[in-house]
Amino acid sequence: MYEKFVTITAKHGIHTRPAALLVKEAKTFNCDVLVECNGKQASAKSLFKLQTLGLYHGVTVRVFADGEEAQDAVEKVSTLLITLS
Amino acid sequence: MSITGIIVSSGIAFGQALHLNYTKNYLDYRPIPLARIPQQQTKFFKALQELQQQLSHSQAKLSAECENYQLIEADLLLLQDEELIEQVKDTIRTLQLSASVAVERIFAHQANELESLDDPYLANRAQDVRSLGQRLVSAIHGHLDQGLDKLTAPTILLAQDLTPAEFALLPKEHISGIVLKTGGLTSHTAILAKAAGIPAILSCQFDAEFIPNGTPLVLDALNGELWVKPTPEQQARLTVTLHHEQVRRAALEDYKNVPAQTLDGHQISLLANVGNLNDITHVSDAGADGIGLFRTEFMLMNARTLPDEKAQYSLYCEALHALVGKTFTIRTLDIGADKELPCLYQEVEENPALGLRGVRYTLAHPELFKTQLRATLRAANHGPIRLMFPMVNQVEELEQIFQLIAECQDALEEEEKGYGELSYGIVVETPAAVLNLSAMLPKLDFVSIGTNDLTQYAMAADRTNPQLTRDYPSLSPAILALIKMTISQAKSAGVKVSLCGELASSPLMVPLLVGMGLDELSVNLNSLLEVKAAICQGDFERFSALAHTALQQDRIATLQQCITSYK
Repeated sequence: MYEKFVTITAKHGIHTRPAALLVKEAKTFNCDVLVECNGKQASAKSLFKLQTLGLYHGVTVRVFADGEEAQDAVEKVSTLLITLS
Repeated sequence: MSITGIIVSSGIAFGQALHLNYTKNYLDYRPIPLARIPQQQTKFFKALQELQQQLSHSQAKLSAECENYQLIEADLLLLQDEELIEQVKDTIRTLQLSASVAVERIFAHQANELESLDDPYLANRAQDVRSLGQRLVSAIHGHLDQGLDKLTAPTILLAQDLTPAEFALLPKEHISGIVLKTGGLTSHTAILAKAAGIPAILSCQFDAEFIPNGTPLVLDALNGELWVKPTPEQQARLTVTLHHEQVRRAALEDYKNVPAQTLDGHQISLLANVGNLNDITHVSDAGADGIGLFRTEFMLMNARTLPDEKAQYSLYCEALHALVGKTFTIRTLDIGADKELPCLYQEVEENPALGLRGVRYTLAHPELFKTQLRATLRAANHGPIRLMFPMVNQVEELEQIFQLIAECQDALEEEEKGYGELSYGIVVETPAAVLNLSAMLPKLDFVSIGTNDLTQYAMAADRTNPQLTRDYPSLSPAILALIKMTISQAKSAGVKVSLCGELASSPLMVPLLVGMGLDELSVNLNSLLEVKAAICQGDFERFSALAHTALQQDRIATLQQCITSYK
């Protein structure tokens, strides 16, 4: 398993539009990428689930995945989580 | 084929059918037989695909940078979301629910969860999720909802019911008519439709199955008929009727710039009922002597947060500016009963019409009330304002109100903010207010009779129930007696008396009401010229004689007879 912790810097948090971009990116990988925040987990491929995590400005998020592309996927998703606004 | 209904806003409208909130009112919550589970799941998949196609189609017309494009993108992602699809499938199977009920449940759950996150951005999104769910349910029912914001052709809305808040959000430039299954004659939505000049009928028992979206319709709200797929002959006949109606309306324009005065020189003040600043700025063009009722709660109806003192103050100042010294009557927030406000926390009440409404609500929430009182007092520094209080029953309430006003004046003085003198009045809308009037009149400059609520409370008949509004009309011996009592008491106390209920907006009632001695009538903007014409075409002497005869009638039927035979 590969994991990484990142802090959300987007002023308004990761709301609908940035979350949609994140989902599109996550879907390009074969492995599932999970996001954990505020004690809840969701697949980065599901906007439905991701929305309910509460990805506000300033919260710390754990991104993790298993499998062949795990590292690449976690890095890409983490980078998006930090850079999206 | 035509279906009948009760006219609440007259006129003729051509347009295509559009069902609003089709879903909300037609869901069947009963469990389905096991054998129908696969069929319901297939229905769900089919609807998902249809809605996706429709969304992609609307998205293709937009540029990728625009916000709408990205929001549609998010909607599409949700509709393709495997977690969501699995959840709906499971719910259909394990709980044996129909596809539409399962979708409604999952989307509502999702929306609730988003709202519980306590983030304003996501709270907005919760609403989007709910409406996406509704569109999906519509698609399951084969009524693909085009979405109100995308209307282009004239549209006749069909719905079970429509709240005032929903009405406020309609794109009115594309809505040519409204047809509702429920709704009383004097419900607030009916009043709003009339004020907006949109033909509307209520209590129309159409069968939604036989009128899919897009069906050509003609709404004849002069005769109370909805024509479904009219024949060319029917269309031609209704076009002629529409033309006559337009000619008749054009003839009324002559009355715009003349005073509301009878042939024998009795003048009354003809005012308008309004709900927003836009209407206020049109009052002078409409030929009114000012505003007799500004329903301030309508400025909050769809607001996410309450306008603060500054915002209210500038709104009232703008209104004063537009009115250039004409009468300006502000009714303080009349919250409660069928007017729910999303931006306020309101307790769920067993009987809201008999509950915390009007000044009862504002007195229970003094901070809210004081904000409005301060804004009004400050605005009165720039022009004359009459302030009136809804649902006042007894002098004790008035004393509490004046106590708050005194506190506001003291505070403003301390803060060195200018304020002006107000004229004060109450809406007489309960039998108790009529009976307690003598104690209250010394404190008042005017009273305004609200006939809709007065009828509801005198008859103990819910004004939103069509059956009851038909059986217990405002034009009845009991209500006329209450109006007469109010007028006589106010006159002998030297207090001006106005009538702002729906009764005044009916030209047929005008001779009677003017004859009873009212100083002012306050009516819908849309009915104003018709009412003025009725005043200008008659003699006060004859109006008085009619009122005298009408007050002697002891049955609804003879009273109606007496009014309709007058000419």
